[in-house]
Amino acid sequence: MYVSPIREPLIKGNKTYSQITKDIAAPIEGKPGKAWYMGISLSLSAMFLGLAMMGWTIWEGIGTWGLNRTIGWGWGITNFVWWVGIGHAGTFISAILLLFRQKWRTSINRSAEAMTIFAVLCAGLFPLIHMGRPLLAFFVFPYPNTRDLWVNFNSPLLWDVFAISTYLLVSLLFWYMGLIPDIGTMRDRVKSKAKKFIYGLLSFGWTGSVKHWQRHEKLSLILAGLAAPLVLSVHSIVSADFATSIIPGWHTTIFPPYFVAGAIFSGFAMVLTLLIVTRKVLNLENYITLAHIESMNKIIIATGSIVGIAYLTELFISWYSGVEYEQYAFLNRAAGPYWWAYAIMMTCNVISPQLLWFRKLRRNLVFTFILSIFINIGMWFERFVIIVTSLHRDYLPSSWSMYKPTLVEVGIFVGTLGLFFTCFLLFIRAFPVIAIAEVKTVVKSSGEKEIKNETL
Amino acid sequence: MNTNYIISKKTKRVFLSISVIGILLIALGFLFQNPESKNIWMSVLLNNLYFLFLSLFGVLFIALHKIAHSGWHVSLKRIPEALSTFLPYAAVLMFLLIFGMHDLYHWTHHDLHDPIIEGKSAYLNVPFFFIRMAVYFAGWIGLSYLLRKNSMSQDLSDDYKYHKQGKVLAALFMAFFAVSSSTMSWDWIMSVDPHWFSTLFGWYVFIGLFVSGIAAFILIIAFLKSQGHLEFVNKEHLHDLGKYLFGFSIFWMYLWFFQYMLIWYSHIPEETIYFAQRLNGFPVLFFTILVLNFLFPFLALMTRNAKRNIKWLAMVASVVLIGQWLNIYLMLSPGILGETAQIGFIEIGAACLYLGGFLWVIFNALSKKPLLCKNDPFLEESFHYET
Amino acid sequence: MRRYISAYFTDEEDLLRASKILMEKEISILDVLTPFPVHGLDKVLGLKESKLPTVGFIAGAIGTIFAFGFQTWAFVVDYPLFIGGKPHFAIPAFIPITFEVTVLFAAFAMVFAFLFRSKLGLGAKNKIHDERITDDRFVIIIDANESDEHFENVKNILEHEDAHDIQLKENQ
Repeated sequence: MYVSPIREPLIKGNKTYSQITKDIAAPIEGKPGKAWYMGISLSLSAMFLGLAMMGWTIWEGIGTWGLNRTIGWGWGITNFVWWVGIGHAGTFISAILLLFRQKWRTSINRSAEAMTIFAVLCAGLFPLIHMGRPLLAFFVFPYPNTRDLWVNFNSPLLWDVFAISTYLLVSLLFWYMGLIPDIGTMRDRVKSKAKKFIYGLLSFGWTGSVKHWQRHEKLSLILAGLAAPLVLSVHSIVSADFATSIIPGWHTTIFPPYFVAGAIFSGFAMVLTLLIVTRKVLNLENYITLAHIESMNKIIIATGSIVGIAYLTELFISWYSGVEYEQYAFLNRAAGPYWWAYAIMMTCNVISPQLLWFRKLRRNLVFTFILSIFINIGMWFERFVIIVTSLHRDYLPSSWSMYKPTLVEVGIFVGTLGLFFTCFLLFIRAFPVIAIAEVKTVVKSSGEKEIKNETL
Repeated sequence: MNTNYIISKKTKRVFLSISVIGILLIALGFLFQNPESKNIWMSVLLNNLYFLFLSLFGVLFIALHKIAHSGWHVSLKRIPEALSTFLPYAAVLMFLLIFGMHDLYHWTHHDLHDPIIEGKSAYLNVPFFFIRMAVYFAGWIGLSYLLRKNSMSQDLSDDYKYHKQGKVLAALFMAFFAVSSSTMSWDWIMSVDPHWFSTLFGWYVFIGLFVSGIAAFILIIAFLKSQGHLEFVNKEHLHDLGKYLFGFSIFWMYLWFFQYMLIWYSHIPEETIYFAQRLNGFPVLFFTILVLNFLFPFLALMTRNAKRNIKWLAMVASVVLIGQWLNIYLMLSPGILGETAQIGFIEIGAACLYLGGFLWVIFNALSKKPLLCKNDPFLEESFHYET
Repeated sequence: MRRYISAYFTDEEDLLRASKILMEKEISILDVLTPFPVHGLDKVLGLKESKLPTVGFIAGAIGTIFAFGFQTWAFVVDYPLFIGGKPHFAIPAFIPITFEVTVLFAAFAMVFAFLFRSKLGLGAKNKIHDERITDDRFVIIIDANESDEHFENVKNILEHEDAHDIQLKENQ
């Protein structure tokens, strides 16, 4: 494969195959550092706080939340949509970038996919606890029951059940199939018998046979082909929860693609937040280089601009429509009692990413890190703005109301953050954070120099 | 390697006869169908948009691949560049609408007493309409001219600076196009039904533009290859174009479906009327469009071999091109002509007339420069391209 | 008892060349073990195209028919209910679930077909030839159930292509 000399190398430091294995396996083999212990204790405590709050919600009831008759959806669904959105970068990176043959994906796809799975898990918690009786959650699946009733296939909320579970399962398959060869590598590296047994079991008996590789490559490609429309469908269906209604500010046809763009936008922001730290702590700077950060920043600016255009389109069409409810809903968003949420959303999502037009800033780690957190916040507020500002002004002015989250709700959100980071921290201790085999396939064509192999 | 393309006399004759057939059909239309001026203007607008979209795709394709640092497309870039040379002609044709506004756009009428349309008059008024049109064309033509010039300068020099400048121009075009592609579809297509609105509309039109452009691109390659040119375009290039056609047909369906479904689901009369008119007035056409633009390309291009066979690919591309033309027809005609509109001699004749002229312009542009560019830093990648 | 020859390479280019020559001389290669998918190796070895896409297509088609059919049956035949003024046979509303189930069926079918065909799975007891294969060694395994002359012949070819550790081994 010929690669133009003007392209920036994707793997730095003139690595041999063996060095790649060693570098990427190092974090699993070594003892965890202080930073890891600090991180895990912090995220575990957050998680337990969240669990306690969830327990309280289930024990006491949804009345512990700040919802009221007018605002029946608030914090919970905001977090649900936020987490599902974050869960979009992983599959976007692995599936869509694989189809577009973007080689830089090989260094980041593994951790982004893992992040996807953890984020979707966190997302799934919110509808579950909002049901009030989580033990009866299986009611949402269509199964023959004594009531002779079927679930409502016409409801977008049921579409969500199918979309999110399919997305979780397919992402899991995709991630694990990609992991198998690398677990094989770990199996052949670890010394302790117990570890060897576990990795041996998890590696599914991987041998590296050419026939297996051939099928494995085909499988990845077709799974990517399936996962690409799946990514689009999932957030489109989530957006349909709102857009199928007749609530001003919710019912707008641009929602599906705009939610997808926003999801990828926030997902990449979270990937950046995690990887900028990870590459430093795990000494993977040669694999996740500034070129990777820059590429991700380009996706951020593209999706961020799409989101910005969607905001403006909504705003313009609400005026153009001539429907006074629509016009009021958008005016109220920008200038009503929740104007500050709208302002945060606009600043973080539309204005701040535009700074990335400058190459210097795209390659500046500190700036990128801060920006990625800004975007995470901005995208959270986007969902908050859409949900709360559209609901708090009912068609009936006597129902007008305000929404304030309770400590229980905040605690649950903090808890999911804890769960997410706990999972991620455990993941980097158990599995290679970079796809070892995939990086080896690009190192010759896109490595810093031609690699020289060690002699036997 | 001889990379110069000269239009053969035969080809010229074919282009000319397409246009002549078009004129004959229009004449027949005048004899037998008694067209109103509305019918004529409707055909002008329809074909203006259709060929403008193909031309815009040319610039878009170059700009998109340039900012994505794509290597594979470089050996093909002369073709989309040639597509973009139709833009100035499209601009002239669009400005002809000055004389047809009354027939095309209901909101230009003075005696409406319609509070909804009055409410929109800050945006929907004739002077602003043409100011916007001028701005769009100035941006598109200016940037496409600069991009093409940049690419030609690269041919003459191996200076890396042209590559860098090209990227800046491409980014500028993308930013300009991101906004103008939506607003132009509101202006020229959505305002045909002045009461109706849909936030997704601009993106839906845009994706149709992309699909039809890809299809046209594939057909031009197929034609040039059949004439013995473009030997450097291999199966991998075709495979990628085939994947584009396949993928974006699905994407088109995705946007079509969600626009339709959300309006169907919410069941608000002021929105559903749009689809009610089209579904009740044109039931066959309504579903034909879905078959030609999604079902057929989806099934026909599913396998790997189908995407690598140029004849098959060209056949699918022609079907999609017809499908997209019908798609624009169905967006415009119920609003302009009502539910009784029919595709007759005038419509087909006008399309042929435009097609002949369009091909003439494109192939003339192709013959002026070598079909293969030089000195592009990614050119070598495009030659050694394999999956 | 079955005998085989194994040889090691440190670079995939050498491996590709050696495989090509062995294939030309019609010496049967039992397996090639590599740490990552080597581009073009399957073509050199003349492996048939994988049928996984077909499996995915069939399973996906079944998923489509099943999901659409089931929703239609439940809402039109089994228990027709009026919901939100929609018709019982509400095609647009059935599409999202149909799509999701299609993808789910296709993905699961392909993964299981892959594991089944490759004899991989939880508790699979495949022979691990060498622990370095998943690191940086490329191993070629050649049938040696012929004469000793055959071994010498193969050894010569392999040595010429920079192979190391060419050994005659026996399966237990």
